[in-house]
This record gives sequence, C-alpha cells and structure tokens, in this order.
Amino acid sequence: MISTIRYRLVMLSAAGVLALSGCAEQAPSDAPSKDMAASAESPSADAPSADAQVTATPVSDPSTLAAPIAQYKIYVAEQSALAVRDTRRFVEAIKAGKLDEAAALYAPSRQAWERIEPIAELFGDLDASIDARVDDYKGGVDDPNFTGWHRIEYAIFDQKNLKGMAPLADRLLADTQELQTRISDLSFEPSVVIGGPAALIEEVASTKISGEENRYAGTDLWDFRANVDGSQKIVALFRPLIAKANPDLLAEIETNFATVDTALEKYRRGDEWANYVELSDADRSTLKGAITALAEQLAQLRGSLGVD
Amino acid sequence: MSADDSGSDPATSGCPIDPSRRVVLRGGLAVASSAVAAAGLAGCRDERVARGHALGSTSISQSQPFHGLHQSGIITPTQAAAIAVAFDVVGEGRARLQPMLRKLTERISFLMVGGRMAQRDPKLPPYNSGLLGDDIFPDNLTVTVSIGASLFDQRFGLAAHKPRHLVEMLSFPNDALNAELCDGDVLLQICSNTAETNLHALRDIIKATSGVLNLRWMLEGFLPPHTVQQLGHDSVINLLGFKDGTANPDANSAEKMDEIVWVQANSGEPAWATGGSYQAVRIIRNFVEFWDRTPLQEQERIMGRHKASGAPLGKQREHDPVDFSADPTGAVTPLNAHIRLANPRVPGTRQILRRSFNYSSGFTRAGQLNQGLLFICYQSNLAEGFIAIQRRLDGEPLEEYIKPVGGGFFYALPGVRNASGYLGQGLLDAAAQA
Repeated sequence: MISTIRYRLVMLSAAGVLALSGCAEQAPSDAPSKDMAASAESPSADAPSADAQVTATPVSDPSTLAAPIAQYKIYVAEQSALAVRDTRRFVEAIKAGKLDEAAALYAPSRQAWERIEPIAELFGDLDASIDARVDDYKGGVDDPNFTGWHRIEYAIFDQKNLKGMAPLADRLLADTQELQTRISDLSFEPSVVIGGPAALIEEVASTKISGEENRYAGTDLWDFRANVDGSQKIVALFRPLIAKANPDLLAEIETNFATVDTALEKYRRGDEWANYVELSDADRSTLKGAITALAEQLAQLRGSLGVD
Repeated sequence: MSADDSGSDPATSGCPIDPSRRVVLRGGLAVASSAVAAAGLAGCRDERVARGHALGSTSISQSQPFHGLHQSGIITPTQAAAIAVAFDVVGEGRARLQPMLRKLTERISFLMVGGRMAQRDPKLPPYNSGLLGDDIFPDNLTVTVSIGASLFDQRFGLAAHKPRHLVEMLSFPNDALNAELCDGDVLLQICSNTAETNLHALRDIIKATSGVLNLRWMLEGFLPPHTVQQLGHDSVINLLGFKDGTANPDANSAEKMDEIVWVQANSGEPAWATGGSYQAVRIIRNFVEFWDRTPLQEQERIMGRHKASGAPLGKQREHDPVDFSADPTGAVTPLNAHIRLANPRVPGTRQILRRSFNYSSGFTRAGQLNQGLLFICYQSNLAEGFIAIQRRLDGEPLEEYIKPVGGGFFYALPGVRNASGYLGQGLLDAAAQA
C-alpha cells in the first residue's frame, strides 16, 4: 500500500531538491499543482464540514505545523539511518552464508523501514525493488523482477538456502542507502506527514493483519508493531493540534491505539514478537476491529487540521 | 448445419410457432435448420420476440443479431450482466479448431435467438440446464468470441497469421498479476440482461465443448440496469462511486467505429482479421475501504472529475467538454489526474471503446472487500490504444487505490456473415492455404 500523497511528490522529487527550510513556507515546485499551491497559502476558508465527527478547525497559521513536521523529519532521518545500519548487518550475514544469523536478523532489520513506510513509499521504484511481495509478479518466486526483502525471505525461510542471494543482498543494501539519500533531500509536505498515520494503518489493515506480508518468515507481528509505532509517533507529534481541533476524535484514536497495544503486548517474547501463527482468532478479531476503526479515524486527521 | 446433423448434438429449434420451418427427424425430435435459427426475428411470428424488439426494453425477448460484418457485444449497448470467461484449447493440431469453432458458432447463434430445446429420453441427462425453462429466450444475449496470443503458438500452426499487435498481456508497473487469472486461448464475453441468462449460455457452451475447451478463469460483472438502458443519458457508476465511460466515443457513429474499433482491410493486419477488433481485458481490484476513507476533494483530484455530477473539474455537467490546453499548469485539473492522463484531449489522441462492468467477489484474507472493475475495451490498434493509454497512466495517483490482478489481450473475431459461415473461418482458411 502506498502513501496517499505519494504521486504528488513524485513530480516534486523528480525535480529534485526542496529542503524544508524549517519555516512555514512551502515553496511551490517546478510543476505546481493545485494542492501544492494550496499548502503554500493560508488554509482554505471553506466552511467546515457538516459532519459532526469532523470539526475542521483550520490551522490558522501554517507555522504551527512547522515544528512537528521538523521533528518528524528528524525522526525519519534517524530511522532511515537505522535502516541502513540494520540492513548492512543482515546483508553481511547473508554474504557470509550464515543462514541462522540471517534468519534471526530478518525481522528486526526491517523495523526501522516499517516505521517510516509512507515516506519510503514515496519512491515507487525503490519501494518495488525493496519490498514487493511475490503476489506482485506473474512469474511468482522465479520472476527475475522479484527482489528485495521478500525474495531473500523466501530463500531463508522456505528454501533454507542462501545460494545465489549475495547479489540480491547487495542490491537491497544499495537500494536502502539510495532511499536514505532521497529522503534526506525530501520536502516534508504537511499532507504527507499528517496523512502518514492513516497510511501506516492502511498497510496493517490490508496485509499485516492477515500475515501475508512476511508469509515465509511468519514475522508480521513485528511489522505490525513497527507500523503502529510509526503511526503513533506522528500522532504524538501533532497531539496538541489535534486535541485543539477535534478532542473527541483524538480520544477515539487513543482508545483504539490502546486496544491495539494491549492486544499485541500478549505476543511480545522478550526482544522479539511471536510468530504470526500464534495469533489467536479472538485477538486477530480484536486487532482487526481496532485497526479498521483507527483507519477511519486517522483518515480524518488532515481535514481536522485543515490540511488538504 | 444441415438437417442431416441429427445425430451430432442436442436438438435445437427455431421458432416453435412456425411449423412450416420445422423438420421432423428420427425419434420425433423437432429440429430446424440453422438457417431458420439464423433468420432470427424475421421469420418468427412469436409475439414475445416481436414485442421485445423495442429499444430500451429489458424484456426477455429482447435480442441482438448474431450474423453480420462484426460480432455483437462490442458496439452493442452495454447490458446489465456479463461474464468474461477464458478457456484453454485441449490438445494440439489445427484440425481440432474447426469443429470447436463451428460448435461455438452453432450454440451462440441459437442462444442469441432462442427457441425450444428438444426433450430427451429421461433416462439420459437433459440437453439443457433448464435455467431459462423449456422456451429459451434471448434476453438481449451477446456472446463475443476472441482469441489470445497463445492460440498462435506452436500447437496449431497459426503463427504466421497472428494479428500484428497481439501479444500476451504485458505487465505494467502497478500490476500484481495472478497467472491463474490471466490470458487464455479463447475468451468469451457473455452479456445479457440477467446473470442467469449468462450462466445458461455458459453452461450450454461448456456442455457442447466438453473435452475441447477447459475453463481457465472467469469473472462475472454487473451494471445497474436502470442506467444501462438509458443508452448514454446516464453513465454507469463504478465501485469508486464515479461515473464511468463518460468520454467513450459514440458507438452509433459508424465512421468513428471504423476508425477507432474495427480493423480495416489493408491496415497491415492479416486479411482474415478485417472486421475484428483488439480486446483488452483487465481485472482491476479497487481498494474500496481505503478509497471510502479518502477525502472527497482528493478523490476528485485523483480522477479529474466532480464525483456527484461527473463533470470535469471546473465544469458543471458530466458531458461538458474540457480543454486542458487552457489549464497548462494543472491548476484546475491536476496534470496527473486520471482523465487527463488517459485522454489529454489533444488532436491525434487515439481513443478506445470501453465496455466495462463492476465486479464483486467476496473478500481477502485480511477481511477487505474484493471488488472492482472488469475492464474491457476494444480498439483497432492495441499498441496505440490500450497499451499507449496505460503507459500514460503508469504512476498515476489512482494507482494507490487499484491493483490489476488479471485479464488478457485478445483478438475479437470478425463477424459471421451468414448461416454457412462460422467464427474464425477466415483464420482457418488462411492457415489452410498457407
């Protein structure tokens, strides 16, 4: 699943570099579109929605978004550096032919990436190369275009054999480093950042909840936790603004996050997370309910804050 | 088919009320020549059929012609129910193809007219499923037969006669193709007013071609009958809640259809292909829960139209024309809006004829609905039609919400001119002479 604002940014990032200056100005791109222009101006004076759930209190001064966005940019930089570090360690184990070590490193090495997934997914070519699943390819596991984490996962956990994986491992590291570079050049648009929590939960709702993301390793609960961490991080950064704009919505979000945390906690195993097969039907049902409700609620964040 | 065919297949009959046309064969089974069946409405005094001819009627006696320069079901006004079903041909060798194609021709030409199926000794399985009762009615049925690139492989010796643009369906960047939902030697597009009529036709054809054609994949589609029968006054709404097909070319314009849809003679295609059309089928899942959670204005910017009215952004009415050259920066309609990428409306943009249906098929393991668009389109040039359009669409924002998972590229055969011909005859004759 891809961030909701991904493609607006493709044109932007293709033009290259728009560093966030730390202030409210969102410099128009070379290829301005209506939504980019809107974010550069004061938020619209449109009448708030009649929907009782969403009291769109437009943020009157874009600079109030600037601080949490800047903090998020720092968080993303940290996570992408971690992603490179952890991926490198994983890749070294693969190239050394250490199957057990690679297996142990698989899930934890993905966590930083999974926390910042909506940002990572702005770069569609890298996203496909790094994190595509076997379903994305007509040729299945043998499709030459199937690369990245899940192709390596298949080798480790299904074939239990690292033969031939060295080039794929090298590519995974190179792609992850490229991602870090592109992220560092990225302008963090409010709609992307504030849309991030919803995007992360949509990920969970469409694949992690069913265990199909890491179907060979069975490590979806790891990714689930990381996606939710990433989502909670952004909500935390914007919490004061959300509380002001729509306290009822915030309360619902936090209640559902708490439900998810409690249900997931049962599956913590020290520093690790239980294999997906251990997830009980009852807990899956609880998680699914909370995740679905969260998706609905988080989808209202942008509108609640008056962000396009 | 002559009256001597009595032993070969289930009895078929023309209009039961016209006894002069009925030929009685052994066993007292009443059959009629296919000439009668093909004569269709003209020779039939059945009142139901005559009444059903009125345009806009959804009566069971509504019918479409089987014979003609082109197959029906392409520029025919879209019906409310459809099945796209792909088959693999069993075995090898060109000799297998003619009986199969003749059989398809016979069944389809009968089903599109209707009539009474003969009864059989009850100790034996009945000829017909009985889904439509004993008096089979057309119910606006069309069955359009198309062939895939795989039919031109080494099995049947047809390679030299392949339409020049026909290839196995390409994989585009946003695709997640499931091989089990893709391609096929033969595709039938079965459409009518009703799901049961389609299933009746499918089961009839399967029974008639058992051992010859194996099911490969299928998908049922639907459209709201009330909008379909408006014939262009009211576009159908897809499962994203948007009007679909608004800018389709006018199927009533023969000139336009000759340009956009029908392969012409001397166009670089094999002679047998004249009167046919390239067909692209795409099974496109929509992430509907995610879409329904997306702000309305974002939905509209992604599509390039207002949702409720179907008007292009900045316009008032669905069919208002839009001039993107007046909006070069995309301030009104984003540069990557779906309708703008699909058809930039610049001179020389080649159009296609879309004839899509909605589909709904349960839900995924993650508990999210599996529904979307059974996209079907026709064009005289696949490379400049669907393929060029999809390449423009690659990377569009809508891709977050859609995922093509199946379908295929096929060639819709030319029409059958008269009762002595059969579907695909031109191709087999060309191959025989080569």
